[in-house]
Amino acid sequence: MFKEQLQKFFKIDRRWIFLLLAIVLFAPIIKPIGLPNKTIAEATQRVYDNIDKLPAGSFVLFSLDYDPSTRPELHPMATALLRHAFSKNLRVGVVTYIAGSTGLIEDIFAKVPKEYNKVDGVDYVIFPYMPNILATITQMSSDLYGIYSKDRNGADIRTMPVLKGVKSYKDMSFIVCVTGTAILDYWVAYVGDKYSVPVAGGVTAISQPGYGPYLQTNQLKGLIGGMKGAAEYESLIKQPGKGTSGIDALNLAHLLVLALILISNLILLYVKYF
Amino acid sequence: MAIVFVTGVLTLVSYYVPHKTSVDYIETMNKWENVVAAFAFLLGLISLFFSHYNKIARKADGWGYSLFVFIGFLAMVLPSYFSGGKQMVDGVLTPLGWSYKFIYTALSGTMFAVLAFYIVSTAYRSFRIKSLQAFVLFIAAFVLILGKVPLGQMIWDSALGWTSRLGWVHNHVSDVIEWIMEVPAVAGKRGIMIGISIGAIVTSLKIIFGIEKQYMGKD
Repeated sequence: MFKEQLQKFFKIDRRWIFLLLAIVLFAPIIKPIGLPNKTIAEATQRVYDNIDKLPAGSFVLFSLDYDPSTRPELHPMATALLRHAFSKNLRVGVVTYIAGSTGLIEDIFAKVPKEYNKVDGVDYVIFPYMPNILATITQMSSDLYGIYSKDRNGADIRTMPVLKGVKSYKDMSFIVCVTGTAILDYWVAYVGDKYSVPVAGGVTAISQPGYGPYLQTNQLKGLIGGMKGAAEYESLIKQPGKGTSGIDALNLAHLLVLALILISNLILLYVKYF
Repeated sequence: MAIVFVTGVLTLVSYYVPHKTSVDYIETMNKWENVVAAFAFLLGLISLFFSHYNKIARKADGWGYSLFVFIGFLAMVLPSYFSGGKQMVDGVLTPLGWSYKFIYTALSGTMFAVLAFYIVSTAYRSFRIKSLQAFVLFIAAFVLILGKVPLGQMIWDSALGWTSRLGWVHNHVSDVIEWIMEVPAVAGKRGIMIGISIGAIVTSLKIIFGIEKQYMGKD
């Protein structure tokens, strides 16, 4: 009798689970618990250290290749990375190979440069979207003006102070790719390895384990993974943002998944052996 | 086939030869590639439109959804045309910026967020430990999920903190995760990467030497 009742749990209407998850996600967003993010992953620390040690005026290229579907994880880390770059007075260039990311780049640059009194064309430049990543990043190895002649607003980039002395990868100090796709692999294989430019990345939590080999061989100079990575970077630059506030919901949702797997398997064990 | 052979060999050789001629060749090829990619976009768009137009014309199953292809297209392309492709001017959203923020972002985020609900539901209903392999997978997943969030790290330390009082080495969950990520996960991933790379090299050589002709519509 008891076993039959337990077995009913296996056939529970999945809408109850949806409701439970919705509550677990919304509750901490409405009323944050403020759980501390105690550890900083070594790979995140490496990204921070590499950017932090660059002398002021160095040119850093950001490849921001994510669209709204991965925004919760990647937007906070891109914002934190740019805040760090601007606070160190680095020159910033932004490229993208995902059409959907253009609006998110505008979103960041509508507010972050103002916080550091940075001016478009003088301290940073946003290149227009390009559809063919391989052709574009290969071309940039010899002459970036051969593929980008104007910025995203149609202004001539050759006369921009931000690009003074920058013609190809050898004039760039660091490349960071934030993406929810395999574009980071291209930066490692076609640029980092071939032209000896340090490349670091920011990726979604689900794709983070796949970059272990690149980290071990130092082909990647660091990696920020998922919302936790974003929260870690925000704590490193001491500017809590969306990554830090999202950690509460992430905490509870992860533990809910664990609890559900455990419960279902304990029921299975009981039904089978007792 | 001769064009493919010559272009393939030249491009392959150019990768390893840092001479001005090879750099110029690669630059020309890159520009051509971008032009071809733009036409591929156009071709894809025309094909999409025809496919959905036919569904609507034939009143095929789910033809109503095809209407949204055209509605979605117009909702993004018309504002883009009137905004000159700009999403923001002097800090103010253009019609394209509005469509991007309130249509594309909302729809795209919703589609991806729905996945979370299915994953949690599936975790409960399908993740059954019925074999040793499933058990090993469960243990690895358990530790990774626990260690990926601060609350999980606190639970781990509370549950196993007593081991250090006995003089044993107490490993934080982050140490265990680091080991899983750096040893078994990297070993597996490296094997997959090597396999994919060898496969890609072999396929490329087969295309260059005319053994593989499927790209021309032949077997």
